[in-house]
Amino acid sequence: MFAHLIQDPKNYVENPARPPEVDAYGQLTKLASTFSDVDGLFYFTYAVCVFFFVIITGVLLYSVVVYRRKTFDQPALSNVTHNTPLEVVWTVIPLIIVMVMFAWGFRGSLDMMTVPADARWYKASAKQWNWTFNYPNSAAQSFGELWLEKDKNAAFVLESSDVLHAFYMPEMRVKRDVIPGRNQTIWFNPTKLGEFHLFCAEYCGNDHSKMYAKVHVVTAEEYATKPWDKWDDANPAKGGEAVYKALCSSCHSVNGTPLVGPSWKGLFVKDASGALVGAQREVLVNGAKQTITVDQAYITESIKSPDAKKSVGFEKNNMTAFPALEDKKILGVIEYMKTLAEGK
Amino acid sequence: MTTNVPAVDVHGAAAEARPKNFINWSSGFMSWAGTLDHKRIGLMYLVGVSIAFLCGGLFALLVRLHLWEPNGALFSNAQYNQIFTLHGAFMVFIFVIPAIPGSLGNIILPLMLGAKDVALPRLNLLSFYLWLTGAVLATLAIVLGGFDTGWTFYTPYSLYTNQAVVTIGLAVFVLGFSSIFTGLNFIVTTHKLRAPGMTWFRMPLFVWALYATSLLQVLATPVLGITVLLVAFERLYHIGIFDPRLGGDPVLFEHFFWFYSHPAVYIMVLPAFGIISELVSVHSRKPLFGYKLIAFSSLAIAIISFLVWGHHMFTSGQSTYAMFAFSFLTFFVAIPTAIKEFSWVATVWKGSIALNSPMLYTLAFLVIFAIGGLTGVILGALNVDIHLHDTYFVVAHFHYVMMGSIALAFFAGVHHWWPKMFGVIYNETLAKIACGIIFIGFNTTFIPQFIMGSRGMPRRYATYVPEYAPFHQASTIGVIILAVGIALMVYYLVASLFQRKKAMENQWGGVTLEWLAPTPPPLENFNEPPVVTNEVYDYSTLDLQTMRTPVK
Repeated sequence: MFAHLIQDPKNYVENPARPPEVDAYGQLTKLASTFSDVDGLFYFTYAVCVFFFVIITGVLLYSVVVYRRKTFDQPALSNVTHNTPLEVVWTVIPLIIVMVMFAWGFRGSLDMMTVPADARWYKASAKQWNWTFNYPNSAAQSFGELWLEKDKNAAFVLESSDVLHAFYMPEMRVKRDVIPGRNQTIWFNPTKLGEFHLFCAEYCGNDHSKMYAKVHVVTAEEYATKPWDKWDDANPAKGGEAVYKALCSSCHSVNGTPLVGPSWKGLFVKDASGALVGAQREVLVNGAKQTITVDQAYITESIKSPDAKKSVGFEKNNMTAFPALEDKKILGVIEYMKTLAEGK
Repeated sequence: MTTNVPAVDVHGAAAEARPKNFINWSSGFMSWAGTLDHKRIGLMYLVGVSIAFLCGGLFALLVRLHLWEPNGALFSNAQYNQIFTLHGAFMVFIFVIPAIPGSLGNIILPLMLGAKDVALPRLNLLSFYLWLTGAVLATLAIVLGGFDTGWTFYTPYSLYTNQAVVTIGLAVFVLGFSSIFTGLNFIVTTHKLRAPGMTWFRMPLFVWALYATSLLQVLATPVLGITVLLVAFERLYHIGIFDPRLGGDPVLFEHFFWFYSHPAVYIMVLPAFGIISELVSVHSRKPLFGYKLIAFSSLAIAIISFLVWGHHMFTSGQSTYAMFAFSFLTFFVAIPTAIKEFSWVATVWKGSIALNSPMLYTLAFLVIFAIGGLTGVILGALNVDIHLHDTYFVVAHFHYVMMGSIALAFFAGVHHWWPKMFGVIYNETLAKIACGIIFIGFNTTFIPQFIMGSRGMPRRYATYVPEYAPFHQASTIGVIILAVGIALMVYYLVASLFQRKKAMENQWGGVTLEWLAPTPPPLENFNEPPVVTNEVYDYSTLDLQTMRTPVK
């Protein structure tokens, strides 16, 4: 029952984006998009709040010191029950101030909701518990990492294939719920080079807190090289490991511990001669037990349609399908699995 | 409950001399379990909600200890998710909503009105048993595997998760009826059982606040009941109302849920406002400043609170027009709330301020509620809320209201009416120390949460990016201080029941009717039915030597 206590470190723990810089007032991270209205209005309301807080606590403290009851039968200095001009003042002035805040905030949110015509459209697909990104004019996807060009309007179609999630980038000041069955949109213009956090901000189950992506904002030259489409054909296992960390590690361990799904350790083993071979596995096909040998066809099928052959012992758990994962990446994943083999 | 029965020899001569009160006029299990007396029912509520508060507090402590380390110190993610859900569900549904109306409201409202009991005593007992059933069902849900949906039960996660969601839904449904019946009872009592001479504008503000609360309970709670039933039907029979796989709409659930749960915020906070209004006046020995405006602002808040639920959903993609209206009304509801705070401060001004423990809790409330209310204004601004929504900033904001304001007002009220309820007074020095520890602990817990929240730390995270660790650790230290303060408070309050240091009839010099009743009050409250001839909070008739008002 303590199997869940052993957690595989996920990408933000072992490889987080660099910590964001904090702005001059210490309350917000430094803004990295064009939505400066958020910071302006935040500090305006903050200042108003501090002003009223100081007045309220000041009057209270003064009263407690000066009007403190010294003898038990001391009456109040005043028995005034109301003061109409004062009450009008403290009704009307706050009303004017909050109406300014309202108008400012509404105007700012209109900017956020209106996607500029020249924006590049990306797609962010959320599922428990990872992010997948599609790029304009590129067949390649990226997992758990996103690359954007500095000073270019970036717009996203947000899709969820299971439960509610939310696309939240604190330094860009943007957030939008990702709702299954609806296409939500969000946009921003990244104005700073560097690495940024993308969090899931709507509770979505076990690994909600690990549903993270690192966002790289890069120069036009670097963006043109399509960094999301880098795949080292000489070392497919390394690429496979990256896919594992982004998509698979919340449910599959590599150390033999069963999580939601079976561990990947031991899928491939070394036989007596030291050659790598697929292990024997018991699976369910239409409810009937079968023994199969792990091979490329079986792994590919399990990634694209996981329900076809479910491992015995994990029948009750459902795996998310990844039908769009490119073949070379599947091969990379298989190469990575092979590196986990034990034996001579 | 029998621990509250004073250990007196009922057959002895001393007992003959001591007048019977509501605690000792009869004894035995059934005299409590079957009682129709509003004070006994209130006491049972007081014990019950206090236990719920301590359970919820224990869950909070576990949550904070776990968050000491970025990768989580104590639990798996799945266990953490269950524990924060339990914290929220116990605190909201079993503690905060029923706490003040059920305990202090039940005991004090009829006394304040000069009545013998509430208008519908049997319904009152049913409310308590429904509350108890709901609390038992919620505990049962833990045994049946727990629930990890968050207290908000957002669909479709709550439809898919393989846990005891139907059981906790049933608990919420039953608790809802407890709340509705209490509200109904208080409305009828306020209309029908006021003492002769007590016009509407001579009612104490605690009564006004409970009246406004009751309206909300009766009108809003049925929507919650329907919503949790729909979730249960969706889980059991797949009717396709919230599940997007069946053509349902998960955002519809959010609308239904917040249509209740935003007014519920005011169901929770209005009674706290009522307590503070009383205490500020009594312990400053000064009529409440702007009485009518405070009374009307309670009603204004009750009405406007029905129209602001969408501000919980600014990131959900609702239409521009909806955003416009919800943000506007959210700012608008800030005004009556601000009026209350200003009026309390103006009441303290030039008063005769007694720095006893109820007043210290009240002053702590005034400071903490100022922060809780003002940070709510920051969250009302549309584009700022988009950044802050679902971060620790929101968590800190609503804890400043729920815990820092409502729970502190509840503590203040318990300290204020403790001598009237039990006829004994607690250790005042310990009470002041505990209040100080609680105030420091509370602020140490939640101020770091404001900062990390505005820097982007999302809520409901079992693990977090390492740069937030110092704030989480400061917050955890704060909650340990807070726990020490609350443990001390529980200790001296319980100890006072055994030490039996006698309280005065009118301990604080109050002029509302409950202080005219004997201490503790007898079964039907007053020896003679009171008649009201003065304006409310008129301290001019109070004899400051004897703390008595002339008997009418």
